[in-house]
Amino acid sequence: MKKRLYGSLALTLAAAMALSACGNNGNNGADASAGASSKSPSSSKATKLVFWTFNELHQKFFESMADSWNKANPGEQIKLEATTFPYDDAHNKLLVSLQSGKGGPDLADIEISKIGNYLKGDPQLVPLNDIVEPEESNLVMSRLNNYAKDGKYYGIDYHVGAQVIYYNKEILDQAGVNPDNIVTWDDYEQAGKQVLEKTGKPMTTVETGDQWTFWPMVVQHGSDFLDKEGNVTLNSAANVEALTYLQKLVKEKVAVLAPGGIHHAEEYYGFMNKGGAASVWMPMWYMGRFTDYMPDLKGKIIIKPMPVFKQGEMRSSGMGGTGTVITKQSKNQDLAKKFLAYAKISKEGNIQIWKQLGFDPIRSDVWTDPAMQEPNKYTDYFGKDIFTFLSGLKSEIAPTNIGERTPAVSDAVKTKAMFQALSDLKDPKQVLDDAAASIK
Amino acid sequence: MPERKPTLQTFLLIGLFVVLALLALFPFYCLALASLKPSKELLRYGLNIKLQPELLSLHNYSFIFSEGSAKYMGWYKNSAIVTIVYTVFCLLLSSMVGYGLAMYRFVGRNVLFVFVLLVMMIPVEMIMLPLYKQMIAFNLIDSYGGVILPFVVSPLPIFFFRQFAAGLPRDFLDAGRIDGCSEYGIFFKIFVPLMAPAFGAMAIVQSLASWNSFVWPLIVLNSGTKLTLPIGLASLVTPYGNNYDILIAGSVLAIVPIMAVFVFFQRYFVSGLTVGGVKG
Amino acid sequence: MRSNWLYSQRIAPYVFVLPFVLSLAVFFLYPMVSTLLMSFQEVLPGQTHFVGWSNYKSMADDASFYAALWNSTRYTFWTLLVLIPVPLVLAVLLNSARMKWSSLFRSALFVPTLTSVVVAGIVFRLVFGSLDDSVMNQFRHLLGFQTINWMGHSATGMVVLVVLATWRFAGINIVYFLSALQTIPGELYESAEIDGANTWHKFKSITLPLLKPVAIYVITISIYGGYSMFTESFMLWNGNRSPNDIGLTMIGLLYRNGVEQNNLGLGSAIGVALLGTTMILNLIALQFFGLFKKEE
Repeated sequence: MKKRLYGSLALTLAAAMALSACGNNGNNGADASAGASSKSPSSSKATKLVFWTFNELHQKFFESMADSWNKANPGEQIKLEATTFPYDDAHNKLLVSLQSGKGGPDLADIEISKIGNYLKGDPQLVPLNDIVEPEESNLVMSRLNNYAKDGKYYGIDYHVGAQVIYYNKEILDQAGVNPDNIVTWDDYEQAGKQVLEKTGKPMTTVETGDQWTFWPMVVQHGSDFLDKEGNVTLNSAANVEALTYLQKLVKEKVAVLAPGGIHHAEEYYGFMNKGGAASVWMPMWYMGRFTDYMPDLKGKIIIKPMPVFKQGEMRSSGMGGTGTVITKQSKNQDLAKKFLAYAKISKEGNIQIWKQLGFDPIRSDVWTDPAMQEPNKYTDYFGKDIFTFLSGLKSEIAPTNIGERTPAVSDAVKTKAMFQALSDLKDPKQVLDDAAASIK
Repeated sequence: MPERKPTLQTFLLIGLFVVLALLALFPFYCLALASLKPSKELLRYGLNIKLQPELLSLHNYSFIFSEGSAKYMGWYKNSAIVTIVYTVFCLLLSSMVGYGLAMYRFVGRNVLFVFVLLVMMIPVEMIMLPLYKQMIAFNLIDSYGGVILPFVVSPLPIFFFRQFAAGLPRDFLDAGRIDGCSEYGIFFKIFVPLMAPAFGAMAIVQSLASWNSFVWPLIVLNSGTKLTLPIGLASLVTPYGNNYDILIAGSVLAIVPIMAVFVFFQRYFVSGLTVGGVKG
Repeated sequence: MRSNWLYSQRIAPYVFVLPFVLSLAVFFLYPMVSTLLMSFQEVLPGQTHFVGWSNYKSMADDASFYAALWNSTRYTFWTLLVLIPVPLVLAVLLNSARMKWSSLFRSALFVPTLTSVVVAGIVFRLVFGSLDDSVMNQFRHLLGFQTINWMGHSATGMVVLVVLATWRFAGINIVYFLSALQTIPGELYESAEIDGANTWHKFKSITLPLLKPVAIYVITISIYGGYSMFTESFMLWNGNRSPNDIGLTMIGLLYRNGVEQNNLGLGSAIGVALLGTTMILNLIALQFFGLFKKEE
C-alpha cells in the first residue's frame, strides 16, 4: 500500500515538473491571457490590444485615443483592453510575465526609474525605430534615448518633464525679491537669505527620500548619476559640489527638509498649501499636484527656469517620465506600433497629451500650436503662457543618462545619500563615495 | 451561571477595555471622519480629529455607489466570491490535515509537520516567478482558480487545527470506535463540533487573509474586471498622486463585510457552552 | 463497519493528510527547488547562467543585508514581547465571568485587523508625522516634550512599527487565545476554587498549561510573521525608502533586489537565507516547547 502511495506521489511530482518545464523565454508561445484574435488588419473585426498601466489617467488617455483611432481607421479597428494596476506591482507583474515568456500584454507603461530592469539581458520589448526615426526632427530626442539600448528605441514617453522652479509670488513680494533677478545659484542663496530675514520662511524645501531635488541640479551642471556608458558617476566632483551647496542651504535654514520626506507626501501638500516655503523646484508634471492638492495657492505660483551654477549651463532638464512599450509577446506588433505612433508621436496625440494629462509633450513643434493656450485647469491656475515660456527653454533641456543601473543608483540616492547629507549633515563627498561604492 | 452583582473588579475591567477600545478605534475614527470630508481637506490640514460638521457629507460614498460603482463594486464582488470559495474549502481541507497530524501516530508524521512549517514560512515573493510559470502551464492565469488553488490547503490553519486538536481529549476517539464509527465518521460527527471554536477562529482569520490578499492575486489576474478589492484600492495610490476620495471611503466600506463575518462567527469561539461531554 | 483498507485505522491518517501532500507536491516542490536553483544563478531573459555562490557573497557584503536582518530581528523581538502576553491576559479578562459587554469590546479590538494595510499606513504616517501639528507630537507637547521626527530615526521608527503592529494584531491574537480558552472546562476552575486557589493560582496552574498548544502556535507564527513583515514598513515610509534603511526588513530587501532591481538570483538567495533563519529559530523554539516529544 505504501508503495502505491509513494508511487502515485512520484508520478504527480514528475507530471508537475514536466508540465511546468516551459523554460523558453521571450517568444510568443500559446498565450493564455491576452487571447488576442490575430486577425489580419484589413478585416473589419476589431483586434484586441491589451494595455497595462499604473496610472488611471494614462488608461483614460489611451482609451480616448483608441476611440479616435477607430473613427479615423474604420478598416483597422482596435479593441483596447486597458487595466490600471498599483504602481510598484504593475512593474513587478510585467517583469514576472516577461521573465516567464507568457501572460504579458501588448502595450505597457514603464516608469523611467524602472526601465533599466527591462533592458537587462535580452530586452523582451519590440524596437520602435521604424516609428520614431521618421519624426526625429520634431521630437525631443533625449526623451527617446532614455528608453534606448544599443541604438534601438524601446519606449515612447508621455512628456518631456522639463525641469522648472515654482515660485510663490506672494511670499517673494513680501520679501521684495524679483525672481527674474535670480540667475545663478548664488543669486538664489542671496534671495533665500532675504526671504528668510523678511518673512521668516524658508526659500525652498529639499527631498530626503527622493531624487527630484538633487538630480536636476547635477544633470544641468553637466554631470549625472551615470555616464553615457552606464557607469556610476554618482560621486563625481560636480555632484559633490551640488550636494555641498544643498547642504549649505539647509544649514543656513534657507532650505528646510520636506515634511514627510518627499514632495509627494500628504504632509507636504498641507505644508506648502499654507505657504510653508517660497519656492520648490520640480518638473513640469508637478503642475497637477498644485492644481489638485494645493488649491489655496491658485494664481500665486509663477513658473521660472532653474538657476544655474555657471552662466551658459542649461536651465532645464528632462526629469522623470513614463514610456509606453510594446512587448515581444504581442501578436499584433505592427498594429500596436501604428497605434502607439498615433497616440504619442503624432501632432494630434501630443496635443491631447497636454489637454487630457497636463504634460509637456515630446513634440516640440506642438508647443507653438495655438491649441496649447486654450483654457484648462492648468491655465486657470498658472496663467496662459505656460508653453510660450517653455518654448523659450527648448534648446536648454539637458538630457539624462538612463541605464541598467538606474534603479540601483536611484535607490541609493533615495534611501541613503539624501538623508545622510541633508538630515544627518554628513560630509557630502563621503556620503556620495559610500553610496557609489554600494552599487554593484 | 448565577448573575454576579457588579463589583469593583467589573468596573475596573470595563474601564480598562473602554480605554483600549478607544485606542484601537481612534485611527479608524480618523479614517471614517476623513471619508466624510472632501479629500482636499485631508491634504490641507492633515489628519484632523476635529468634527467640522460643516464639511461632513456622504459625497464620497455616493460617488462610489453611483459613478464609481462599476469599478468599485466590481472589486467588492470579486473579493467576496474569492473569499467565500476559498474559506469554505480551506477550512474543510486544512482541518482534515491538522486533525490527522494531531490524532494519529504514523510514519512521516513529524517530517510532514516540518514541511507544513516550511511551507508556511515561504514568503510568496520568493516563489512568485516559478509558481507563475506553473499557473501558465496549468492554464490558470487570469482565473480565480489560479488565485485559490495553490493556497487552499493552507499551512497556517493546518498548524492551528493541529494544535487545537492536540488539546482535546483522546477519549473521544476510543469512544467513537467502540460505538462503531469509521475514522472519518469520528472526525465529522464528533471532532468537528468539538473544534467549533477553532473553526470559528479560522473562518475569521482565513477569510480576512483572503479578503486582504494582495500580492498573489495581482500576479495572477490580468483582466481589469477580475481585480479584487485590495488591488483596486492600491491602484488608487500612485507615487505621484492619490485618489484619496475613493481610497478612504472605499477602505472604510471594505471593512464592513469582514466585520459582519467576525460578528457572526464570534459566537463559535466564545461561549458559556461547556465543551465537556466526557464524564469522569 | 466496512473492512475496506481505506477505512482502517492505519490508513486513515494518510487520507487525512493527503490534501496537504498533494498541494505540497503539485504547487510547492517545484517552486521551492526552482528558487533554490535561482539563488545560484543570475536570472536574465535569455541569459540565465550559473554563478555559484556569488549571490550569497554579495548578499553578505551588502550593508543593507545586516540592516534588514537587525531590523527584522528587533521587530520580531518586540512584537513577541508585546503581542503575546498582552493579548493573552486580555483574552482571559474578556472571558472572565465578571466581564460585561465582552462582544462589544472584542469587536472594537478587532477592527484594526480589518483595516487595509494601505490605509493604515497612511493614517499612521500622518499620526506620527514630523510636523508640530501631528497627533503624536501634540501629545508630546502635552507631556512637555519637543517635536521629533518620528519616522526619521531608528529607535522611534521602530516604536512606530511596533505600535502599528500591536494595534493591528492584538485583536487577532485575542481571538486565538479566546478560542483556546473555550476548551478548558469550567469544572476545573470550580474544583480549584473549592480547593482554595485564588485567581493567580488558577491562571498559572490551569489556564496557562492548557493554553500551551495554542500559545506555541501564536509564538511560531509571530516569529515567522515578525521576520517576514514587509507591507507595514513599505506603507509607513511610502515605499522601500526609509532613511538609512531604518525600516528595511528582510522581505523588503528581497523585494528591493529581486523585484525593484530585477536581480532575481540575489532575491532568491535572500529568500533562502530568510527561510533558513526562521526555520531554525522556529525549530529551536518548538523543540524547547517539546512539540516533538512522544506524547504521553
